[in-house]
Amino acid sequence: MGEIFLKAFEALWQVLVAGIVLGAGLPAVFALGIRVLGNGRTLAADGSTYSSPPTGAGRAGSTVLFAVCVAAVLFGIFLIVAGGFGIKVFG
Amino acid sequence: MTEALFILVIVVVTALAFDFTNGFHDTANAMATSIATGALKPKTAVVLAAVLNLVGAFLSIEVALTVSNKIISIQGSNGAPIPELMGVPILTIVFAGLVGGILWNLVTWLLGLPSSSSHALFGGLIGSAIAALGLGGVKWDGVISSVVIPAFASPVVAGLVAALGTWTVFKITARVAADSREKGFRWGQIGSASLVALAHGTNDAQKTMGVITLALIAYGSWNPGEGIPLWVKIACALAIASGTYIGGWRVIRTLGKGLVEISSPQGMAAEFASAAVILSSSHLGMALSTTHVATGSILGSGVGKPGAQVRWGVAGRMVVAWLITLPAAAVVGAICWAVAHGIGGAAGIGLVFVVLVAAAGLMFRHSRKTKIDHNNVNEEWEGGLAPKSETAETRSTVSV
Repeated sequence: MGEIFLKAFEALWQVLVAGIVLGAGLPAVFALGIRVLGNGRTLAADGSTYSSPPTGAGRAGSTVLFAVCVAAVLFGIFLIVAGGFGIKVFG
Repeated sequence: MTEALFILVIVVVTALAFDFTNGFHDTANAMATSIATGALKPKTAVVLAAVLNLVGAFLSIEVALTVSNKIISIQGSNGAPIPELMGVPILTIVFAGLVGGILWNLVTWLLGLPSSSSHALFGGLIGSAIAALGLGGVKWDGVISSVVIPAFASPVVAGLVAALGTWTVFKITARVAADSREKGFRWGQIGSASLVALAHGTNDAQKTMGVITLALIAYGSWNPGEGIPLWVKIACALAIASGTYIGGWRVIRTLGKGLVEISSPQGMAAEFASAAVILSSSHLGMALSTTHVATGSILGSGVGKPGAQVRWGVAGRMVVAWLITLPAAAVVGAICWAVAHGIGGAAGIGLVFVVLVAAAGLMFRHSRKTKIDHNNVNEEWEGGLAPKSETAETRSTVSV
C-alpha cells in the first residue's frame, strides 16, 4: 500500500514541476510579450489605453516572445498526436 | 434477434449515451473561461471545442481496453474477458455501470456542478462489479492509485500552477494599458483552451471506445488482439463531439462565472495550467480527471490575482460533489445490476434502460424551468446558478 502512494507522489511531483515550467512559465513569456509590445508607447494618465502605436523594437521583441508560446502549443499538439500513436517522446 | 444480441445493442447505445453526456458535461473544462471573458462567443466556443474533441478522439489510437481493467476484475491481463463471465454476465455489469455514470452526470449537470465524468463511469462500474462479484470484483489498489490519489492531488497541483502563473502575469503586465492587456490575453486564452479541448478528446473518448470494444468481445464478435473497431471509433468520436457542441451551459456558467470573476489574463493562465498538467500527467501514464484539473486551475487563477473574488461557497459545493460522485454512481450501478440481473436477460436490461430514459427525460424537463443556454450563460452571478432573466417574470423566448 505504501508503495502505491510513493509511486503516485513521485509522478505527481514530476507533473508539478512540468506544470510550473510550462503551465506558469508560458503565460509569463506571453505576458512579457504583451509588456514588450507596450514599450516606448505613451500611456494615458489613467492607465486605460495607449495613445501612440507600438514601436518597431516593441513589435519585433513581442513577436519573438509570442512565437515561443505558439511553438510550445504546437509541441503540445505534437505530444498528443505522438501519444496517440504510442510514441513516447520522453523516457 | 437473439437475446444476447439485443443486450449488446442496448449496451452499445447506452455507452454512446454516456459518451454524449461526457461531452456536454466537460465542454466547460476547456471553454468556460474563454466564454466568460468574451474571448470567444459562446456558440463559437462550443463549435471549436466540438471540432477539437472530434479530432482528438481519432488521435487516441493507443488501445484503450485497459481503462476498465485497472479498476475491476472482469478481464484477464490481455484485456479479454474472464471466460466464465463471457456473454451476458459481463454485458450486464458494464451496462449497469454505464447507467450509474449517466444518471450521476445528469444530476450534477442539472445542479450545474462540474463533476468528473470518469469518476462517474468508474463509480458505476465499481458498484455493479461489487454487486455482481463481491468486493473481490474490484481492484482496490488500482482504484487508489489511478482514481483516489489523483482526485485529491490534481486540483491542488493545477491550482498551484495557475495561481503562480496568474500572479506572475499580473506582476509582469502591471504597467500595460488595461485595454491592450485584456485584448492581448484573449488570444492566448483561445490557443490554450483549444489545447485543453484536444487533450480532452484524446483522453475521454477512448474510455467509451474501450467499454464498447469490451462488450463486443464479451458477445463474441471481436478479438482482443484486434484493437478497436473503426466504427466504434467513429461512433464514439461523433458522440463526444455532438455532446460537446450541445454544451453543458449550466456547468459552463458555474465554472466561468460562479467560481471566480475571471479576466482574460487569469483565463489564459488557468487554461495553460490545465493543458500543462493534463498533458504531462497523461504522458506519465497517469490519467487525471480533466474536470478536477480545470476546476483547480480556475480556482488558482482567482487566488493568484491580488484582490480577486473567489466564491468559496461554490467551490465547497463542488468538492462535496466530487467526494460523492464515485460512491453515488456506485450505488446506482449496484442497484441497476441487481434489478437487471434479478429479472434476468433481455427483460431486465430492457426495464433498466426504460427507467434510464424516463429519468433522463424528467431531468431534462426539470432543467427547462431555469433554462441556461448560450444567451444567458454570462449573466452576472447573483447568489446562484439561475440567471436573473430566468428567475424574473420577464422570461425570454429563446430557443435551445
